[in-house]
Amino acid sequence: MQSNLVNFVQVLRTHDIRVSPAESLDAVEVAASLGYSDRSLLRDGLAMTLAKTPEEEVIFLQCFDQFFQQKLADFANVETHDEQEKEPSSAAVDDDAQEATDFADAQVSALEQSAQDNPMLEALLQTPLMQSLISNDRNDLTLAMNQASEQVGLQNIQMFTQKGQFTRRILDALGEEHIRKAVIELEQADSPALPILQRYRDILREQVRDHVEREYLIQAEGKTQQFMDDILSKTRLNNIEHVYMHKVQALIRKMAKKLASRHSRKRKLLKRGQLNMAKTLRKGIPNDGIMFNTYWRQVRKDKPQILAVCDVSGSVAAYAKFLLLFLYSVQDVLPKVRSFAFSSHLGEVSDYFNDYPVEKAIELVNWKYGGATDYGNSLLDFAKLAMDDINSNTTVIILGDARNNHGDPKLEILQSIYQRSRQVIWLNPESRRSWGSGDSEMKRYQSACHFSSECNNLKQLERIVDQLLKSTR
Amino acid sequence: MHTQDFPQLASVEHIEKGFESHGYICSRKIATAVFLSFQLRKPVLVEGPPGVGKTELAKTTAVLLETPLIRLQCYEGLDEAKALYEWKYGKQLLYTQVLKEKLGDLLQGATGLAESVERLHQFGDIFYSEEFLEPRPLLKAMQQEKGAILLIDEVDKADYEFESLLLEILSDYQISIPEIGTVKARTTPMVFLTSNNTREISDALKRRCLHLYIPFPTVELEERIIRSRVPDVDEQLRHQLVEFVHSLRQLDLKKIPAISETIDWARSLLLMHADKLDEELVRSTLNVLLKYEDDIDTTEAEVRNLIQSSAADGQSA
Repeated sequence: MQSNLVNFVQVLRTHDIRVSPAESLDAVEVAASLGYSDRSLLRDGLAMTLAKTPEEEVIFLQCFDQFFQQKLADFANVETHDEQEKEPSSAAVDDDAQEATDFADAQVSALEQSAQDNPMLEALLQTPLMQSLISNDRNDLTLAMNQASEQVGLQNIQMFTQKGQFTRRILDALGEEHIRKAVIELEQADSPALPILQRYRDILREQVRDHVEREYLIQAEGKTQQFMDDILSKTRLNNIEHVYMHKVQALIRKMAKKLASRHSRKRKLLKRGQLNMAKTLRKGIPNDGIMFNTYWRQVRKDKPQILAVCDVSGSVAAYAKFLLLFLYSVQDVLPKVRSFAFSSHLGEVSDYFNDYPVEKAIELVNWKYGGATDYGNSLLDFAKLAMDDINSNTTVIILGDARNNHGDPKLEILQSIYQRSRQVIWLNPESRRSWGSGDSEMKRYQSACHFSSECNNLKQLERIVDQLLKSTR
Repeated sequence: MHTQDFPQLASVEHIEKGFESHGYICSRKIATAVFLSFQLRKPVLVEGPPGVGKTELAKTTAVLLETPLIRLQCYEGLDEAKALYEWKYGKQLLYTQVLKEKLGDLLQGATGLAESVERLHQFGDIFYSEEFLEPRPLLKAMQQEKGAILLIDEVDKADYEFESLLLEILSDYQISIPEIGTVKARTTPMVFLTSNNTREISDALKRRCLHLYIPFPTVELEERIIRSRVPDVDEQLRHQLVEFVHSLRQLDLKKIPAISETIDWARSLLLMHADKLDEELVRSTLNVLLKYEDDIDTTEAEVRNLIQSSAADGQSA
C-alpha cells in the first residue's frame, strides 16, 4: 500500500499539486493512523495533508477517485458481467457465482467441442494466454501484461493520442493476433463457438485498455498538460484559438501568482529625522538608561502607481486583453493599477475592473472602445485625464502597435509624460523589424520611452511584468 | 499531549460525539482534522468564509479537553514583542536603580579593576533571566504544564514576515530567545490557525499544517446546528429558516450570511414568538442576517419568492 501511496503522490505532482517529500511522509502517517478500511475517512485525511488550497482539493478528489477506483477494480467481475445484467437482483451472491462458473464451464466445453474439428482453435486453446483467460487467472494475466508493456516501453507514454497505439502493441506482444485470426476463421465457418471466443477477446482488450489507461494516468497526463502550457506560452497571442482561451487565462493566473509571491515583500524605509523615542529609551535600559543607540521611525514606502494605456483596436485588442489580465492578476503586489483604453478616443476603464471579474471587464472594454486608431487624439485625452496624477512614483505602460493612420502623433505629450513619470514602457506586439515601417510611428514614440519592447507571447509578457515589478520597487 | 491523557480524542467518532455534547455540530471532515492534528502533532490551518465556526472549533476543543485556550489575534504590524515575549523593561530599570547601592557592598575589598569585574561576572546575566521575561501568547502556550490549545486567529492579517516567525514554533514547538537560549514546549500544544483568505499564506507555513477548509454547511447539518444552539425553535420553523438562509446564499450578496448569522436569526425569531416565516417578519428581521444596506435592498425584492420556495421545500421534506 505504501508504494501505492507513493504512486498516488506522483500522480498528484503531475497534476500540478506540489507535494514535498515531507508531505508524502505525513501522508503515510495519516494513512497509518486512520487505517485503510474507511475510504472517505482516508480520503479526507489525505486531502488535509496533500492539498493546500480549495482548488487543489478539487483536483485531489478527482485524482483520488480516478486512481483508487482503478487500482481496486476487480476484474473477475467482468466475467460475470453478462449474467448480472440479466439478473439485477443479485441478492444471492453465492448462487450467482455458482451460475457464473457453470456458465463459464459450459462455454469452455462448447469451445473445446468446436476445437475438435478445427486444428487452429485447438492450438489456440493451448496457448498460455488463452489458458489464463479461460481459467480467469488474474495473476497470470497481469504478469503477462506487465511483461508485454515493459517490452513495448509503455512507461514512455507521453500523449493521450498514444494510448491506442500502445494498447495495440501490447495486445500484439501478448499474442492477441492468434485469437483474432481464430475469430475470423470461426466467422467464416459460422461456428457456434464464435460469440464465446469474441467475448474472451473483448475481455482481453478491455483489460489491456485499462492497463494502458492506468499507466498513462501515472506517467503522462500531467506531462501533456505541461507540454501544452509550454506551447501556449510561446505562441503569438493573437494566434491562440478561442478554445484554448480559458487555458491561457489559467496559465496567466499561474504566472501571475509566481511573480506575485516573488515580489510580495514590502519594503521598509528608514525615515531619518523622526526619532522613535520609546524604542530608543527601551534599548537604552541595559546601559543604565543611557541612550547609546538611536532608533528611528520606520515607514513603508508608498506603493507604486501603474497606469496602463491599451490600444484596443482590432489589431492589438487580443494583446491588450492579456496585458490587462496579467496586470490585474498581480494586484496583490501592485495595488494601484489604473487602466485606460483607446482607439479613436480614450477613456478610463479601471471601474470596469473593480466592478466586474477581469474577463467580463475586458469584454466590456473591447465593446466600448474598439474602433479605428488615433494615437494623437488619445494621448490628448490621456493627458487631460491623468497628467496631474503622474509623478515620480508612476509607471506608464502603453500597449499598442503605434500605427496612427498617418495622423498627428502628438509626440510632445508623450515627452512630457516621459519627463514627469518614473518610467514609460511601450509594449509593441509587432516585431522590432517592422517598427517605423508604413504608418508606424514607433521609432518616434520610442524616443520618448524609457524602455520599449516587443511583446507578443506569454513568455515575453511574463518577463516584462517581472521586470516591471523589479523596477517599480 | 498524549493519547492516554485524552480519551476524548481516541477516535474520529469520539471527537464527533464530544463536540456534539458541547454544542458544536461538525462534519466528519472537521473531526478527522482534529484527530489527525492530535495524532501527528501537527497544527491545523482552518480556512473558510467568515462565520462558519473556525474560531469556535478551537474554543470547543479547549472546552472538550479542559485545557486552557491561548489566543493570539493577528493584525498588520504584529511583531515579536507582542506575539512571543518581551523583557520587563520597567522592572529591569527599577532593579538596577535599587541595586545600585548594593554594588558598593559587593565590591568592597576588591583591589583593582580586574578583580571587581571578576566579582561582577559571578552574578551572570541576572537581568536577562526568566524572571524578567514577559511571556506573550506563543511563549505562554509553550510554558503550559498540561498542554494548551493555541489559537492563532486570522493569520492572513499579519505581515508576511510574521509567518516566518511562526515556522520554528509550528514545526518544532520551540522558541529561540537570544539571551536565554531555546525554550522547548513542556507539553506540545494543539495549534489551530485560522485564515479568511485575504491573502495567500506562504508555502512554508502551509507545508507544516494540515489544511482544513470549512465550507457553508449542508441543510441537514445546519439544522442540527440550530437544534443544538437554539433548541427552543419549533421544528418546522427551523427547517424553513434554514432553507431560507440557504437560498439567500445563492443570491449575489456582498456578505453571505454564515452560520453565526443563522443562529442569531433563529434566536431573534424565537424572541418574536414566530412559529412560521412570513413576509412581514422576514423583512423586519433581515438586518440580523444581512450586514449591508445593498444586500438588504437586493433581498427585499426577492423575499416573497424565497419564502415560497423554502415553504415548498419544507412541505416536501
